[in-house]
Amino acid sequence: MTCVELEQSLAEQEDVGSWEQRTHLRECPACSTLVRELNLIVAAAGQLQEADEPSPRVWNSIEAALRQEGLIRPQRPFVSSFGARWGAARWLVPAAAMLLLALGIYMRRESQADHAAQQALVTSMGNQVASQSDLNDDDLMQEVAENEPAMKTQYAENLRQVNESIRDAQGLVNESPNDADARRSLMDAYHQKSMLFEMAMDRPLP
Amino acid sequence: MVSGRTVKLVAIGAIVAGTLVAESKKEYHFTVGPKSGVSVMNPYGSISVKPSLNNTVVVNAVLHSDKVEVDNNQNGNRVDIQSHLLAGADAESGRVDYEVFVPADASVTLHSSTGTLRAEKLHGDVSLEGAGAEVDVRDVSDAHVHVKTMNGAVNLDNIKNGHVEVDSLSGEVTMRSVNGPLVQVVSTSGRINYIGDFGNSGEYRLSTHSGDIEATIPEWTSADVSARSTRGEVHDDIPLQPKNHTWFAVDKGRAFAGTMGRVAVSSTVVLRSFSGKIHLRKRPENK
Repeated sequence: MTCVELEQSLAEQEDVGSWEQRTHLRECPACSTLVRELNLIVAAAGQLQEADEPSPRVWNSIEAALRQEGLIRPQRPFVSSFGARWGAARWLVPAAAMLLLALGIYMRRESQADHAAQQALVTSMGNQVASQSDLNDDDLMQEVAENEPAMKTQYAENLRQVNESIRDAQGLVNESPNDADARRSLMDAYHQKSMLFEMAMDRPLP
Repeated sequence: MVSGRTVKLVAIGAIVAGTLVAESKKEYHFTVGPKSGVSVMNPYGSISVKPSLNNTVVVNAVLHSDKVEVDNNQNGNRVDIQSHLLAGADAESGRVDYEVFVPADASVTLHSSTGTLRAEKLHGDVSLEGAGAEVDVRDVSDAHVHVKTMNGAVNLDNIKNGHVEVDSLSGEVTMRSVNGPLVQVVSTSGRINYIGDFGNSGEYRLSTHSGDIEATIPEWTSADVSARSTRGEVHDDIPLQPKNHTWFAVDKGRAFAGTMGRVAVSSTVVLRSFSGKIHLRKRPENK
């Protein structure tokens, strides 16, 4: 049994009871780690309160936004489950999704709202996304430091630059809310930041 | 008595032999139909894609250690290749270098964090992603070309009738003879170079927050150009016919806008930077 076959068999049955599965797990540390983590997730999931689970609409909206932005693709059949592979890094998904949703709402409203409403919207959205821009930066860097220490300096520098670009673009929007260039720059800056998050979490790990 | 030099030679020989033993080559063949899809996900190492002679996908992989294996999967007209890192793998031991041959009309998706990503002589859609990956795409036509990098340099050469979108945070982006209905580059601090003719009546949008933008074009280019740097400078070597109306203030030295060439076939060119310098250069005609 190969790693791919094992992962496919995990999707079809709950436990690893067959002789082939047990033999493969004895010989493959990566798959045995995967199964161990899956079991941990299953155990932890049982302890979650029902109230902690957002409604399916929330997940659907996040998925739709990520798919629309081209940030996610259909799952590759042989890749191990996202949760198992990413473990603690899963928080990056809602972080990036929030960023994109804010951006998406902003863009949609921009195209629909009238001119006067846009001014108020730009100001309020600007404040809203500006406060979000500082969220999770430390966590992002911690993840990079743990999983890809060689890239830490590069991520840190790019994060600094993109945050600076967001501040500059936000300043321009505040100065000239009617300036379409400024608004586009702000959107571009947030798009770049979401891309940085995407790259950090899209990096396959052992 | 064994000399120090002999010991050194033996040690070096052992290291080299160990490396050779650890490094292995794999080759995979797949038969696909028209418009197939090929995806290669490789955490560490390079990926080079070239056209194959027939309807086959050939994957040559060089694995740098036994801490990585190659998973391959064909599902109908789609081929997925993935470097599967095993426990203890790092950037060196987990490295795999791929040379992939695909039908020229195949859609290709490449992903590597560190290696160089290359695609050439294709006319299917090409998507390349990697944080530190350098990207090199050339001789691609009638296709979407999407590139995402953090700090890797991006070189696009001879892309005809392309739908080109490049997102790069800090890598330098250079485009030579790139045209199509849409050519868009967004960067945070990277420099953007465009050498071409803004052809195809397309929309060209080059934007960088703090990087410079330099576009070198022939004088006969037909384009409706606007350039603006909020805190930087703009320079224009080519006389433009001023527009009667622009929707932003054309501050001398900070912005320019106008048309050149034949309006009926002109492209729209937007060059934007916050603090970088923008320079529209005239290409010498003898080149």
